[in-house]
Amino acid sequence: MTFTALLTKELRLRLRRERFVWLIIIYLLVMGILGFGFLQRANVFSGGYQGYLLSQIGAQLYALLSFIQLFLIMFIAPAFTATAINGEKERQTFDLLLCSKLSAFSLLAGKLIAGLVNVLLLIAASIPLFSLVFFFGGVSPSQVLSTLIIFIMTAFVAGTFSLCCSTLIHRPTASTAVAYTFCAFWLFAYPVISFLTLGGSIPVTSRWYIWVQWLNAWNPISALNSAVSSGPGTVSNFYVFRVHLSPWVAFTLVSLVVTIILFLLSMAFVKPDPIGRFLPWLRYLGKKSEQS
Amino acid sequence: MINIQHVYKRYHSVHALEDLTLEIPQGAIFGLIGPNGAGKTTLLRILGTLIPPTSGKVWFGDVEVTQSSTQIQRKVGYMPDFFGVYSDLTSEEYLEFYAGIQGISPRRSPRIVSDLLELVDLTTKRDALVETLSRGMQQRLCLARALIHDPDVLLLDEPASGLDPRARVEFRELLRTLQGMGKTIVISSHILLELAEMCSDIAIIRAGQLVMAGNVEQVTQSLGGGNQIEIRVLEHAEDAKQLLKAIPEIRNVFEDQNDSEVIQAEFNGDNQTLHRVLAELVAHDIPVISFAPRRAVERLEEVYMSITEGASIK
Repeated sequence: MTFTALLTKELRLRLRRERFVWLIIIYLLVMGILGFGFLQRANVFSGGYQGYLLSQIGAQLYALLSFIQLFLIMFIAPAFTATAINGEKERQTFDLLLCSKLSAFSLLAGKLIAGLVNVLLLIAASIPLFSLVFFFGGVSPSQVLSTLIIFIMTAFVAGTFSLCCSTLIHRPTASTAVAYTFCAFWLFAYPVISFLTLGGSIPVTSRWYIWVQWLNAWNPISALNSAVSSGPGTVSNFYVFRVHLSPWVAFTLVSLVVTIILFLLSMAFVKPDPIGRFLPWLRYLGKKSEQS
Repeated sequence: MINIQHVYKRYHSVHALEDLTLEIPQGAIFGLIGPNGAGKTTLLRILGTLIPPTSGKVWFGDVEVTQSSTQIQRKVGYMPDFFGVYSDLTSEEYLEFYAGIQGISPRRSPRIVSDLLELVDLTTKRDALVETLSRGMQQRLCLARALIHDPDVLLLDEPASGLDPRARVEFRELLRTLQGMGKTIVISSHILLELAEMCSDIAIIRAGQLVMAGNVEQVTQSLGGGNQIEIRVLEHAEDAKQLLKAIPEIRNVFEDQNDSEVIQAEFNGDNQTLHRVLAELVAHDIPVISFAPRRAVERLEEVYMSITEGASIK
């Protein structure tokens, strides 16, 4: 009940603001203009294409729109979550939340979901734009589904990391800066490190290679590339404990684990006196062990 | 009853509260008086379970604050000195939100919100955005928020600050209504005269330590702020002083430093005594042009100033 009340309030506050409407308009305009530019450049409007080539153009357009969407999600998710907790403290409304029955879980879940609802609405608003791709063909339903999962997991990781920053860092500007730095690192760490360290010269059996592959497994660009590409040139598959995983599945699993860890960390620190709050539990466990 | 036993609160090297022991009777309007940094807000935040004491115990009846903060939160409504509001919500939505996070079901919530809006006289502002309300209205709305879960104890930190005189009077009336409803109200304020008139009991805190606590009249009397009269005469001020000194109930007579025609005197007694003093002056042809008795509570500010002089956090 407390969670629903918080979520309702957050959605009322966010969706009532005029800037949210402008955000959707700008978001769709950016994607639409870039997609139109791509089609213009591919001379689609002059006609004369055969079915096979059109499907290739469709696949390329889908890949382009997906990468734009990924970058926009990375840009927008922290904006809605990086000041969720310290913003309440700055507005001097946090004490009033602490005086209520709102648990740490409800508080964080409400803030996270409300922040991500904005991102999900943007993804939903872009569906008509994505549907244009189906006129050209070349994209399978499984690709659409895996892309959607990557978008959602990316939004969750960026959202929970930003939420964690807003819990641990006192100043909203600082938490926003840290959240964006993380997103930039997350996106570009693998390409940069693989370029600097591997360059194709390090043997597959090297320890470095394994670490960079793990970094690759959690890289949204690699995961999206594996989801939107088809045929030769796709990212290699991964073996985790002898289980064969395609990159987008590996990405989804690692992201899920990271999201849970970040959320638990935020839960531990969102209310004051984190150690003191655990003392009754520790005392209880101590008594139990004494009795046994 | 709230029982505060040997409470210390330290923020690194700063001692906000030191060995504070205090009892707050049930149903009282209890005033916390002290200069800035005395520890009033810290004490209210401990009572509201927002921060734990470094050491010591606070009991609400037979429940200890640090042992069962959830149970205490149900009993307490807290209104901080500085509070923000969600400006894009209406008054009704604002209260509905706090009702929701206090665990009140959506079925019961509209009735409670309507009752509280009526109590704080904001029914006409039900659909107004919170940001459009005046400071006094926001203050009343915040009080309604603190009352949403029908707490037994209200903790109000400087509730009258920033209010104009009319809003203060309205706020005071509202607190009296709440006292009539059986709530225990703990209130900190700098507006001492109002606090003295409103509170049944007070505690004076200086640099985190309790100076004195108890009934308002008793505290003021015991701190040397007994009843006083201020007499203005047209002439014969010296004769009037001699006459006053001869009256047994008059303890001390002194001249106003700025005006030689004004005499101030401390006295023990009631209205009968005052009547006798005035009759005595008139009988001896002293031309009295004003005779103004000042009760102990009205002198609280002077007492407060003298005992808190130079006080600051350690």
